Amino acid sequence: MISKPDPSTAGLSLGGDAAVAGGLPARGDSILSRAVRDKRLLSIASVLFVIALWQWGAGHVSGFLLPPPAEVLSRFLDPKWLSRLLGALGQSLIQLGLGFGLTLLIAVPLGVLIGRSVILTRMFEPVINAIYAIPPVAFIPFLIVWFGLFLEARVALVFLMSVFDVLVIVIAGARDVRSALVDVGRSFGASHQQRLRLIVLPALLPFFFAALRVGSARAINGMITAELFFAAVNLGAIMKRATQNFDSATVLSVVLLICVLGLIAQSGIAWLERRVLHWHVRSA
Amino acid sequence: MKATLQRLALPALGFASLLLVWEIAGRIAGPALFAPPSSVAVDYVGLLRQGDMLRELSSSLRQMAVGFIAACVVGMPLGAVMGRSAVADAIFRPWVSMFVVTSTAALIPLFILFLGTGLMLRVTIVFLASVWYITLTTYNGARGISPQQIAVARSFSASPLQIFWKVTLPALYPYLLTGARIGIVHAIRAMVLAEMFVIIGYGALMHRSGLSLDTGQLLGLLITLMLVSLFFNWLLGATGRWLAPWYDQQRVTA
Repeated sequence: MISKPDPSTAGLSLGGDAAVAGGLPARGDSILSRAVRDKRLLSIASVLFVIALWQWGAGHVSGFLLPPPAEVLSRFLDPKWLSRLLGALGQSLIQLGLGFGLTLLIAVPLGVLIGRSVILTRMFEPVINAIYAIPPVAFIPFLIVWFGLFLEARVALVFLMSVFDVLVIVIAGARDVRSALVDVGRSFGASHQQRLRLIVLPALLPFFFAALRVGSARAINGMITAELFFAAVNLGAIMKRATQNFDSATVLSVVLLICVLGLIAQSGIAWLERRVLHWHVRSA
Repeated sequence: MKATLQRLALPALGFASLLLVWEIAGRIAGPALFAPPSSVAVDYVGLLRQGDMLRELSSSLRQMAVGFIAACVVGMPLGAVMGRSAVADAIFRPWVSMFVVTSTAALIPLFILFLGTGLMLRVTIVFLASVWYITLTTYNGARGISPQQIAVARSFSASPLQIFWKVTLPALYPYLLTGARIGIVHAIRAMVLAEMFVIIGYGALMHRSGLSLDTGQLLGLLITLMLVSLFFNWLLGATGRWLAPWYDQQRVTA
């Protein structure tokens, strides 16, 4: 059986206790000991240190292949380049939205349906685990045969790369809704529909957010994979052309953009989760 | 008896209905679009006889193993240290968070510039795709170790090294295995991704059968990948149950 993407592992949560540790009063000692106590400062120092090391290495070590960070950053922040990059990203987001939207539309109801029925779970969980074990990229030759090389194929790949992750998490959630809660509802005379709407769905919300976190990371992965493997367009085309010209600063600026997109998606979902699920305490 | 029958019968029914739908869809679509299972079975025997598939698979898997083992060697200690030390957590967390959201596919063009398209590229991509998941799983395990256990060990005057060997490591054990299981899924995905990008090894076989519209062969190659992935998962799970039967892995995974 394939190990489930555990909601807490797959959390990719950012800066959890930095906020807790950050509130300590500084007692006016050296920056270093303050940094050790203030974890957020330490994180920033770690990032700055590596960037400084990289900048130094790019200038001093011969044969160092990475372009200096200053060059990558100035490339990234050059307004003309950035607007081109964001324009390409906007196009890429179309297939991301369509593909991931399709995933949520199909995988969430299907997952609840399968997870709530013991028989359906027993029947289809092994099947889903087996298909989930196939690397989605391996379906690319098929997608080319069925959908060609353009938008349809890209949407299909985003869908395929995210749908099983979401499905597996939603099934696990729907199956594990505490039966005691449902029994209480039943003993208070709640109808089947009421139990589903008032007990099962709220209990499922934490899993829904876990699915959203994992699924969106996979969907972004699918978005960029599709642009590199089908006809190269948008961000994929920029990367491919830059690779041919050995322009690593440009390639890195695209990687940076994708990284920032991923971080924004993760923290956006985490923010939404805190707003919606203020009653639910996430373990660990 | 009845329970066993039910446990086996329902999944069998699930697979049977999948095969049935696939057969019907395959008959309608035709072998150029979607070969039905009956003809995939015939093609599969051919693939096994021809020998290309297993040869490429074993060489691809050996390369993947290098990257995956490197990822375990780096990720497991890193995750353990991050989970047990707030300072290490603060230092490494931004990097782990950044790398784990960055798509592996986006890194391939970059690493082709640095490493070319040879063995090092594939090993590096497999490493980068799996190491962060292994780190994060170990990290979650290390953070979850109950402080009482460590306090008990300390009050029996165990040294930090003894605490690590006798308390932390055994408590981490199921998480290490779960991390390895999640990691191997990502490692196999990355292997296929890198091979299909530079068109080499097993990925090249799939690419070629896709180009020649031989969906029977393509599906056969996919099924082999699926079996390999399921086998490794089973192997890691079985190893865990054999080495430490007192841990219920389901509790860690679910």
